[in-house]
Amino acid sequence: MTERPALLELASVGRHLGGRAVLHAVSFSLNPGDVLGLLGANGAGKSTTLAIIAGVLAPDSGEVRIAGQAVHDHRAAANRIGWVPENVPLWAELTVTEALDACGRLHGLSRDIRKIAIERELARLELNAVAQRLCGQLSLGQKRRVGLAQALLHEPELLVLDEPGNGLDPVQSAQWQVLVKKLAPKHGIILSSHDLAEVEAMCSRVVILHEGKVRHDARLDGKSGELDRQFRAIAQKSASKAACAH
Amino acid sequence: MRALTVARIDLKRLSVRPFAWTLAGIVLAMMAWQFLLGVSAFMHAQPTLPGATGPGFTDSVIAPYLLNYIQLCLVIAPLVTMQALAGERDAQRLALLSAAGTGAAQIVLGKFCARLAFLWLLLAVVASLPLVLAHATHLDWGQFAAGLIATALCVAALTAIGIACSAFTPQPALAATAALLIGEALALIDAGVRLTGGDAGWLGYLALHTHLAPALRGLVRSGDLVYFLVITVLALALAIRRVGGDRERG
Repeated sequence: MTERPALLELASVGRHLGGRAVLHAVSFSLNPGDVLGLLGANGAGKSTTLAIIAGVLAPDSGEVRIAGQAVHDHRAAANRIGWVPENVPLWAELTVTEALDACGRLHGLSRDIRKIAIERELARLELNAVAQRLCGQLSLGQKRRVGLAQALLHEPELLVLDEPGNGLDPVQSAQWQVLVKKLAPKHGIILSSHDLAEVEAMCSRVVILHEGKVRHDARLDGKSGELDRQFRAIAQKSASKAACAH
Repeated sequence: MRALTVARIDLKRLSVRPFAWTLAGIVLAMMAWQFLLGVSAFMHAQPTLPGATGPGFTDSVIAPYLLNYIQLCLVIAPLVTMQALAGERDAQRLALLSAAGTGAAQIVLGKFCARLAFLWLLLAVVASLPLVLAHATHLDWGQFAAGLIATALCVAALTAIGIACSAFTPQPALAATAALLIGEALALIDAGVRLTGGDAGWLGYLALHTHLAPALRGLVRSGDLVYFLVITVLALALAIRRVGGDRERG
C-alpha cells in the first residue's frame, strides 16, 4: 500500500534576505487535519517561512511540496493555499462583500460559486453585520476575520496564518483559538506565533525555529508547560553560546 | 482574465477616492476654460482669417485644445499612477494578489488598464466639448479623429511610464516625481532646437511633439503610432520584470 504524501513538505529550504541568511535548510512536514505551530522569537524566520509556503517569496534553495508535488510554478498551487499575513492586506476602499468577491474572482470562482462561498464565509466568521462596511473602517479583529474569509473563500487544503493572535485582545484571541480548532478537521493549518500559550491552545504539533534553523519538531503531548521548557532550553542555549562568543 | 479582475478592483478603488474625483473636477474645469478661451479667440480672429485656405475651427481650436489635455496629462498621469504599485507593495496588497496566483504581467496590466480607463474616460468627456459645436461649425472629422487617436496613445504611453516608475520606487511621491520628470523630458527634449528652427535629429525623434504634431494636423503616420506603442510596451515590460522579481528579491 502506498503512503499518502504529506499535505505540505519543506525540504531543506534556505533563504537570504538583505544579504543575511534568514533560513538554513528548514525541513518539516504537515499532514491534513494537523495544526502546526511555528514558534520562535522575533527574527527567527517564521514569517519568511510562511511567505515561502504561500508563494510570495521564492526559496534560494530547497523545495516546497504541496501534496507531494513540487511547487515550481506557484500559480498552479495558489488555489490549494489560503494565506493570512500578519498585517492583513485589505482594499480599504471596498466593502467586505466587494473584497471577498474580488478574491473569489482572482481564484477563478464562477459567479454562483462566489455567491455561495461569500455567504458561507460571512456566516462562518460572523461578518454579516459588517458585510456592507468599508474594509478600511473595520477593527483589527474584524480585519483579521475578513483576511481569513478571503483565504478560505476558495476552500484551500492548506491555511497559512502569520501571527493570527497578534494585537488582539484576550476575548478576540480566544475567539480565534475556537475558530482555528473549528477549521482544523477540514484544512491543514500552519500558524506562526511567539506566544507559547496560544500555540499550546491551538496546535497539535509544534516546530520551534531559532535563527533560521529548526530546533525542535514534535507533536504536542498535552502536558502543560512542556513546550515552555523546550523553548526556554533553546533560548538559554543560544544565550550561553552568545555569551561565550562575546 | 485575472488582469481584468485586477483592473476592476483598481477602478472600483479609484472611483471611491475623493482624490480621483477632485483631480477629474480640476481637469475638466481647466479644459472647459481652455475650450471657451479657444472658441472666443477663434471668433475674434475669424473675420481676419482667409476663407477657404486659412485655418479652420479644428486647426485653431481643437488641435491646441487636445494638446492642452496632453500637457495636463504630463502632470495628472503621474498622480493617477503613483500609488498603483509603490505603496501597494508595503501594504502587502501585491503579495495578496500574488498569493492568489496572479502573475506579475496580470498585476501590471490590470493596474495599467484601470488607470488608462480613468484617463481615457476624462479624454472622452474632454473630447465631447467640441462636439457640442459640431453643427454650428465645419468640423474636420478626419483631423479630429487623428488628433484623438494620437492623444489617446500619448496618454497610454504616459500612463505606462507612470506605472513603471511606480514599480521601481518604494514611495508614491518618488514615483510621481520620476514619472513627471520623464514625461517632461520627453516633451521638452527638443524644445531648444525647435525654438531655433534647427534639425533636432534623434532628439527630435524622441520628443513627444514630433509624433503628436502631424496627428493634430490630421496626418496619422504609422511611425508615430509605433513610437507611442514602443514606449508603452517598453515601460510595461520593465514594470512586469520588476514586479516579477519581487518573489526573488523579497
